[in-house]
Amino acid sequence: MVEAFAVASGKGGTGKTTTTLALGMALAQRYDVTVVDADTGMANLLFHAGLADAPVTLQDLLAPDARGPDGAAVDVADATYERHGMRVVPCGTSLAAFERSDPSRLREVVAELAADADVLLLDSPATLASKSAVLPIVLADRVVVVTQPTIPALSDALKVQEYAASYGTGVAGVLFNKVRGDLGSVGDQAERYFEGPTLGSIPDSDAARAARDAGEPLLAHAPDSDAAAAYRAAAAGIDPKPKAAGDVADRFRSAVVPERP
Amino acid sequence: MTEGHSPAATEPVRERLPRGDLVGAGVATDFAAPLAASLDDELTGYLRLEPGDALLGGGGSEAVITLADGVPVLTYDAGGDADGPAALAALAGTTPVRVERYRLPTEALAPLHDAVADGSDPFRVAPDAPARELADDDELADRSRRAAPPERRDATGDHDALAAFLADEERVESVRREARAEARARADEWGLTDQLDGD
Ligand SMILES: Nc1ncnc2c1ncn2[C@@H]1O[C@H](COP(=O)(O)OP(=O)(O)O)[C@@H](O)[C@H]1O
Ligand SMILES: [Mg+2]
Repeated sequence: MVEAFAVASGKGGTGKTTTTLALGMALAQRYDVTVVDADTGMANLLFHAGLADAPVTLQDLLAPDARGPDGAAVDVADATYERHGMRVVPCGTSLAAFERSDPSRLREVVAELAADADVLLLDSPATLASKSAVLPIVLADRVVVVTQPTIPALSDALKVQEYAASYGTGVAGVLFNKVRGDLGSVGDQAERYFEGPTLGSIPDSDAARAARDAGEPLLAHAPDSDAAAAYRAAAAGIDPKPKAAGDVADRFRSAVVPERP
Repeated sequence: MTEGHSPAATEPVRERLPRGDLVGAGVATDFAAPLAASLDDELTGYLRLEPGDALLGGGGSEAVITLADGVPVLTYDAGGDADGPAALAALAGTTPVRVERYRLPTEALAPLHDAVADGSDPFRVAPDAPARELADDDELADRSRRAAPPERRDATGDHDALAAFLADEERVESVRREARAEARARADEWGLTDQLDGD
C-alpha cells in the first residue's frame, strides 16, 4: 500500500524541502516513509538531509544509461539512504547530469519505490511552467500545498491546487510556513477555497534556518522547537489512504512520459 | 498645509494628505522597483499608484502609499473603497502600474503619521507589508522592517491583507478560474491531455 504526496507550492523558498523532511520524519512514527527529491532541476534536499556526499543519487537513475559516477550500472536501492527513520532518495546537483537526464524515468523510479512504502513524499519543483516540473503533481495521489501567509504565495498555492485537480490529483491539505505572529482568521478562510484542510501554521523559526545550515532535518536538529512541534501536529492531520498494492506500480507506470525538461 | 494649521482631524485621512513635490514618475512592471527605490532614497512623502487595468481604461482606482524615510506607513485606495491592508489586497497583482513619487517634509506628514494621529489607524500597514503582499520580495521586506523605527518593527505579525484578499470571493474564484484554464492550455501544449481528469 502506498499513497504518494507531492509537496508543492508553485514558487521557491516557501519551505517545501524543509516540509518534506519534517512531515516525512513525523509520519515515519506510524508509516514506512520514503522521501524523494523530485525537484531535479534545483535539487537541494541532499543539503537538508546531510547527504551532500551521497555517491549515487536520483540523477544517476535518471541518466539514460542508469550509470553511476564510476560508470557502473546503478539501481534504485543504490540511491536510497536510510536516514532519520525513513528512506531518502536525494538528487545530485550536477548541471551536466541534469541536462543528460531523462525526466520520464522518474515515473519508473517512483513505481519501484512505491512497492515498499506506505507514504511517498515527492519534494516538488518551485514552478509549474514545464512538463517535467508538473510531473510530480501528475504522479502523486494528493498534494500537500506549502504556502506563506501572503497574497502572492497564496495565489500560487491556489494555482497548484487547480493544476493538480486538472490531473485528477487531490489536495491533502495546506500548510502555512514562515508565519510571523498568529495566522488569525486566514487558516479558516483558506479552507473555503482548498479541497483539503489547513494542516497547520509553522512559525518563522531560527531553528529551521539552523537545521538547514547544519545539514539536518528540522525534527532531528531541533525536535523541541516550536516549528518541529507544529510540523508534528500538521502531520497528524494527514491521513494516508492505503491503495491496493497490485495497482501501485501500474498507477505510476501508466502516467505521462515527458520528453526533455 | 496653508496658513499654519492642519486640516481638521475629523476629515478622512485621504482628504488630509497634502500635495507633495513630484520627484519621479513611470510605469513599473512590478512593485519591487518603486518600493526599493523609495527605500534606497529614504523618501519621505508618498507613492501614487495607478494600476494597469486603470491605464487600460478598466476603471480600477488609484492607490496611495505614504512613506517615512522610505518605509511605508499608510495605504488607501483613492476611490474610498479600501483602507490599509485591504487597499494592499486590492492593489496586489495589478501590474503594470503607473507610479508617481512625491516628496513632503516630515512635518507635513506628522499629523497623519504620528502614532497618536487621529483617524490614521485603519490606514496603517506593517513596514514590510507592501514588499510582501505587492512585490513578493522577502529580502526587500526584511530591509523595510529593519529600516523602520524600533516601535514599528514588531508590527509585522498581522495577516490582514491576506485576510482581505480571502474575503473577496469573486477575486479568489477568478484566480482559480484563470489557473484552471492555464493548466488545461499547458496540458495541451505538453501533450498531457490524456492525463487530464474526466470531462
Ligand atoms: N519555518 C521556517 N522558518 C524560517 N526559515 C525557514 C522555515 N522553513 C524553511 N526555512 C528556510 O527557508 C529557506 C528555504 O527553505 P526550503 O525548504 O529549502 O524551501 P524550498 O524547498 O521551498 O525552496 C531555507 O533556508 C530554510 O532553512
Ligand atoms: Mg527545495
